[in-house]
Amino acid sequence: MSVFCVVWIFPVYWMVNTAFKPQTDSLTPTPRFLPFPLTLANFSDAIHQPDFIDYLLNSLIVTFSVVAVAIVVGFLAAVALTRFRFRGRHTFLIAVMVIMMIPSPALVIPMFLGLQSLNMLNSLFGLGLTYTAFVLPLTIWTLRGFVHGIPVELEEAAMVDGASRAQTIRLILLPLVLPGIIATSVFAFITAWNDYIYAYVLMKDNSHYTLPLWLATFSTNTSTDYGGLIAGSTLFALPAVVFFMIIQTRLVAGMTSGAVKG
Amino acid sequence: MNALQTQASPGRSTVRRGAPEKGTPRRRRVSALPYGLLAPAALILGLVVGYPLVRLVIISTQDFGLRALFTGTTPYIGFANYTSIWDDSQFTAVLVRTVVFAATLVAGTLAIGLGVALAMVRLGRRLRTVSTLCLICAWAMPTVPAALVWQWLFQPTYGVVNWLVSAVHVFGDQRQSDWLAQPVSAFVIIWLLVVWTSVPFVALTLYAGLSQIPAEYYEAAELDGAGFWRTFRVITVPFVRPILLLVTVLSVIWDFNVFNQIWLLTQGGPDGGTTTIGIWSFTKAFASQQYGQGAAIAVVSVILLAAMTGFWVRRLVKSGEEL
Repeated sequence: MSVFCVVWIFPVYWMVNTAFKPQTDSLTPTPRFLPFPLTLANFSDAIHQPDFIDYLLNSLIVTFSVVAVAIVVGFLAAVALTRFRFRGRHTFLIAVMVIMMIPSPALVIPMFLGLQSLNMLNSLFGLGLTYTAFVLPLTIWTLRGFVHGIPVELEEAAMVDGASRAQTIRLILLPLVLPGIIATSVFAFITAWNDYIYAYVLMKDNSHYTLPLWLATFSTNTSTDYGGLIAGSTLFALPAVVFFMIIQTRLVAGMTSGAVKG
Repeated sequence: MNALQTQASPGRSTVRRGAPEKGTPRRRRVSALPYGLLAPAALILGLVVGYPLVRLVIISTQDFGLRALFTGTTPYIGFANYTSIWDDSQFTAVLVRTVVFAATLVAGTLAIGLGVALAMVRLGRRLRTVSTLCLICAWAMPTVPAALVWQWLFQPTYGVVNWLVSAVHVFGDQRQSDWLAQPVSAFVIIWLLVVWTSVPFVALTLYAGLSQIPAEYYEAAELDGAGFWRTFRVITVPFVRPILLLVTVLSVIWDFNVFNQIWLLTQGGPDGGTTTIGIWSFTKAFASQQYGQGAAIAVVSVILLAAMTGFWVRRLVKSGEEL
């Protein structure tokens, strides 16, 4: 098991190691396993690439807007699906499930042609729209699980006390589901943050690149700069890894509790 | 990753909601509310999924190539796109490659993931935390950085793996080997990358299930003199069967649809040797600009996947509905 751990962590270790090593220490026939002497040159290299800040902003803008929309809309839908019995509820649930099974490369063709005919290629709005396609079903499904976990009696008690439906959702349910909303936002964030293929197809003009695109083309533009490339990758992976660590217990617990019951 | 959360349902509440009382004035007012709450979601999903999906099927029956982009006319040609991909010499090869690749990926991920999960149950607390951290790091690595790191690990002259392989003196001097230049070794490299990123989910999920098995079961089995395999078959497997099914179905879906890793490492090459059905659809559409044929391949891939997983997806939906 220790061997397994070493093998499994090695790529990550090698990334960090390369990122902190001086360029000349990376390109040696015999690899150096410790990043000494340590340098931040690769990071400053990566950050000082022209347009890095623009790409970072593009990524941040599109990711945060998608998460915001998906969480608000997803929360409302989750409330509808757990707190009410109504005609079409099952159909909607099945539709959400099926949508999650559709391979995302399959939808990229009609999305590209559709946005092209609307003259919306290279627009962050268009890109965000496509991200919503795979972030929203995920947030609806997850939030539904979290809302379901809150006893409905609390809201009923508030309603007996004269609160309106909207008030009970806002004042009772929302604060209780907040941890779940945060976990879901993080997961939605990572999904949108990591996308490569949609950005690759839709963002043809390189001033509209997002960070994954920039990273992927980095290697061909400056083929020798492995240090900068790997440092850029490290920076990009960092938020995802940190966020993941924070939510993983909740994530796994959520997944298995459903499976065992089923 | 978007199917990852299909079973996310941390609902631990045992209290079931009763139906609203009939005949009260409140009920009348309430009945429109769920539709109002659902409307934005339904509207957006229809716009960003429903419409493109319908459009995909329509495009697959159109002569939608380079000419169509200039003339703006896209005549309907029935199933011609489908027959032409059927007649394509690549068709069988791509299909076999996709299935073999997905099958070996699923087998590898499940075997390693289950092995790791079984080992984790027996580990002490400290080593278990360390393993969990290692797994999460690999799980959380976004595809683009992961693929770039992989390129760096297997880089011909300065790659650490080539150095390592050469250093053990079994396979001779491999320092200059370019693994991505040969179809088979390129496939192995991609396989390693995908397995590396997908084992953590399987291992951690199965571990969560395995740790729920009461120790008494194993103690009783030991008293009865049952060996490892027998205990595994009679106690472990039946207990985690639902989780095993879940991770298998999700693995099949993800591995069948692996796209980014292949595209980033080989773009389907060398000589089409790593072209799976997703890559094929993508290159037909965007490299050859035959959107109609690309769409037809995409439709075929969706149908294939649905046929392979339909039964289990239905079961998952059913268990999800009960919530």
